[in-house]
Amino acid sequence: MPEQDDMVPRPLPSALTFELASRCSTTKARAATLHLPHGPVQLPMFMPVATQASLKGLTPKQLEETSCRLCLNNTYHLGLKPGQKTLDIIGGAHKLQSWPHNILTDSGGFQMVSLLKLAQVTEEGVRFLSPHDGTPMLLTPEHSISLQNSIGSDIIMQLDDVIATTSPDHERIKEAMHRSVRWLDRCIEAHKKPDSQNLFCIIQGGLDLDLRRECCREMVARDTPGIAIGGLSGGEAKTEFCKVVDTCTGLLPTHKPRYVMGVGYPEDILVSVALGADMFDCVWPTRTARFGNAITDSGCFNLRHASYAEDFGPIEQGCKCICCKPDSEGGLGITRAYIHHTAAKETVGAHLLSMHNVHYLLNLMRRVREAIVEDRYPEFLRTHFKKLYSDNPPTWAVDALRGVGVDLLG
Amino acid sequence: MDGTANGSLSELPDEMFSIIQSTAHTLSPRLARLSLPGRRIIDTPHYLANTSRGVVPHITQDTFRRDTSIAGVYVALEDFIERAPRKVPPLYQFKPSDGASPLRKFVALQDDALLVLGARRTPPVIAPAANSNTDTTVSICTAVGFRQMKVDDYAEEAEELKPDILVGLGDVPYGRVLGNKRVERATDRMIQWMQEHVALRDERKDGHQAKLFAPLLPVECVKQQFYADCLAEELAKDISGLALYDLSTLEDIPESLAHLPRLGFTEPKTPHEVLQQVALGLDILTVPFIGAATDAGIALDFTFPSRQILNGSGPQPLGVDMWSAEHAVDLSPLSKDCQCYACSNHHRAYLQHLLSAKEMLGWVILQIHNHHTMDLFFAGIRQSIARNSLDEDVHAFSKAYESQLPEKTGQGPRVRGYQYKAEGPGESKKNAVAFKHAMNDGKEKLAEATPPAEDVDAEDLEIKGFAEKEEL
Ligand SMILES: [Zn+2]
Ligand SMILES: [Zn+2]
Repeated sequence: MPEQDDMVPRPLPSALTFELASRCSTTKARAATLHLPHGPVQLPMFMPVATQASLKGLTPKQLEETSCRLCLNNTYHLGLKPGQKTLDIIGGAHKLQSWPHNILTDSGGFQMVSLLKLAQVTEEGVRFLSPHDGTPMLLTPEHSISLQNSIGSDIIMQLDDVIATTSPDHERIKEAMHRSVRWLDRCIEAHKKPDSQNLFCIIQGGLDLDLRRECCREMVARDTPGIAIGGLSGGEAKTEFCKVVDTCTGLLPTHKPRYVMGVGYPEDILVSVALGADMFDCVWPTRTARFGNAITDSGCFNLRHASYAEDFGPIEQGCKCICCKPDSEGGLGITRAYIHHTAAKETVGAHLLSMHNVHYLLNLMRRVREAIVEDRYPEFLRTHFKKLYSDNPPTWAVDALRGVGVDLLG
Repeated sequence: MDGTANGSLSELPDEMFSIIQSTAHTLSPRLARLSLPGRRIIDTPHYLANTSRGVVPHITQDTFRRDTSIAGVYVALEDFIERAPRKVPPLYQFKPSDGASPLRKFVALQDDALLVLGARRTPPVIAPAANSNTDTTVSICTAVGFRQMKVDDYAEEAEELKPDILVGLGDVPYGRVLGNKRVERATDRMIQWMQEHVALRDERKDGHQAKLFAPLLPVECVKQQFYADCLAEELAKDISGLALYDLSTLEDIPESLAHLPRLGFTEPKTPHEVLQQVALGLDILTVPFIGAATDAGIALDFTFPSRQILNGSGPQPLGVDMWSAEHAVDLSPLSKDCQCYACSNHHRAYLQHLLSAKEMLGWVILQIHNHHTMDLFFAGIRQSIARNSLDEDVHAFSKAYESQLPEKTGQGPRVRGYQYKAEGPGESKKNAVAFKHAMNDGKEKLAEATPPAEDVDAEDLEIKGFAEKEEL
């Protein structure tokens, strides 16, 4: 069906194609194939975070084996180490980490503001004091894009004015939204490689739905290849979070990928997909692995707990990851007891669990996509929430899903 | 023992250990072949990869299978039994359905890799004097501190774990010199311990037993004569090899024990020392410096026989310090011409980045490369022995390379095990990191990140293009 904004001319070149495969007949969920410079990826999708160009001790081969085809790098970190000059000489982040698949980078602004207490946002950019000698420094939208151009990531993010959604200062939230729109223009202007790198805008506006709507209108008009919904990985209530996602997806064009930044808990992803979002990222699966936590269909378990010391079952029964599969199926046959044995004492324990956890999330998304394609996503949601919460699903999820025609309690 | 070389596999008898080439001298290198049912055949001299808690540090079991050629590993039982005897260790409760080795299955070791089990790590954490061995117990170091392990328990439980090779328990006085009285007592103990262990094996007779290697005291054989005699006569048919803890023991190994494979826990510090130990007749070595080099950020970089042409530039370093900033934009492999997974997929620039960013993958890559280097080193040693040119090759090697591995300049991996130095009970908490389930992903992202290092100044940031200095 023709979309209204198909009529709008496209001033910005795009290095991706979005191919819609199916839509859920009940919820707003969609299944699609996103063709990116380093190969196609299936939406909805989860993207693990390889902060400093490596994913928690996994070799690129191991990451590939989890079926990952798009991972994140953080611009802030790569900008510091190895730095732009080095990236230019090496030829970008794909070459740096020998990763033949896709990479997405953030703008660096979020981490800048969060990590540096003295960072201050002005119209020009993010001002901060050099941690070394206190010299005042400035990170601009132009810097961020230039860095991401050097990184060579397949998807790059605009520099946005990030503030906590929980901020009580409404004027400041409004200012941040408008500034993010102005910075988007500067990013588009500064972007030197639109033929090989896809710039995504980031919808801001806090929890104020009117601001979000306005931001959607402004940014959609700028026609970037993809669209992110930002500022939602903070401590806002999940009900508010869902309202923002729902409102934004309602205003976004169908034929572009929608990325909800920094969201990674399985139940948050499942609901967001029902609300029409396609892409998610989070450090949680790998970070939590370091502390011995295994993600499974029935929740998250800390395998460092003494009760797992003598548990010789796989991390998750039936899991097809390399760790859980028995040797008879070409896997390693790793037991919970062995993870318990190595957790916190040998890094290998964390590496194994990272592989399981990343595989879990990628596989969850594969199951989600299958359910959408077969038009049984509502059923999938009901079954999954039942497994996680038995008969007491969280209210926010019940409410959000009711809004798109799924009754978790029914 | 006859000194004739024989070649092809088909001619080999069913023996576990067949000597292919040796001289009548006790102190001389030899070529042999170690073949155990179900395992790949290992030509010796060779080495065993060291493990910690059942795994070659940094290398997950899938990477081990796919991206290394490690032929065998050495595992220490003390890594598995911290709660004994108060609680039965989990490993002892693990009974794979197919009757396979519980230890092999538990640590997910590749099917055809040789699995050698002993009581203590190499090098072990040396027990405080208060914890020395007794007539019936041996001091071991576990994750919760030093413990006394009963000699009977060791024999029984270690047999149950079905390794390919089991090193019997020795009264080895790690780190201490033995007086004559102490040697005498240790000799008596070891005779008794080995007799009891063998008696236990006779009782079990399950047809699928580990090959039992007898430990020797770290003194000349003549000083432990009664024990050596006992091994050569009374226990001859039960002992399949010797475990050595000091080179002096090689000096006078009696003819009657010469046919047995010699497994060294002799802690060579450099490739030169490996060569020396091989030249004295060790067959299988454990080589702790491989892992130490990895943790130090050093990529081993030597070949044997040396391909270095001495051109007046002096001896070459034995390894490359990958922390050095000079590699920052170097797209060459860790070591020229190396075909290992690390070198065929990654370059120095990435490794340098990973180390300085303290990303765990750095040590994974180094560990793969360093073990590969050791595989080739030992292959070179065997060829050299076969050509009867070991002496000259060793001499040339000593000229071509520096005598010590490069100094460590960077920091090691963040997580240091309890295994590295003596600690009292409870001190191992050092590694435990309290887990807070942060609801806030923003905070998690922050925790992931290190703020700009203190040593990054504004100039750097600007040069790197990260940001610009503001004119005041
Ligand atoms: Zn799994
Ligand atoms: Zn290599």
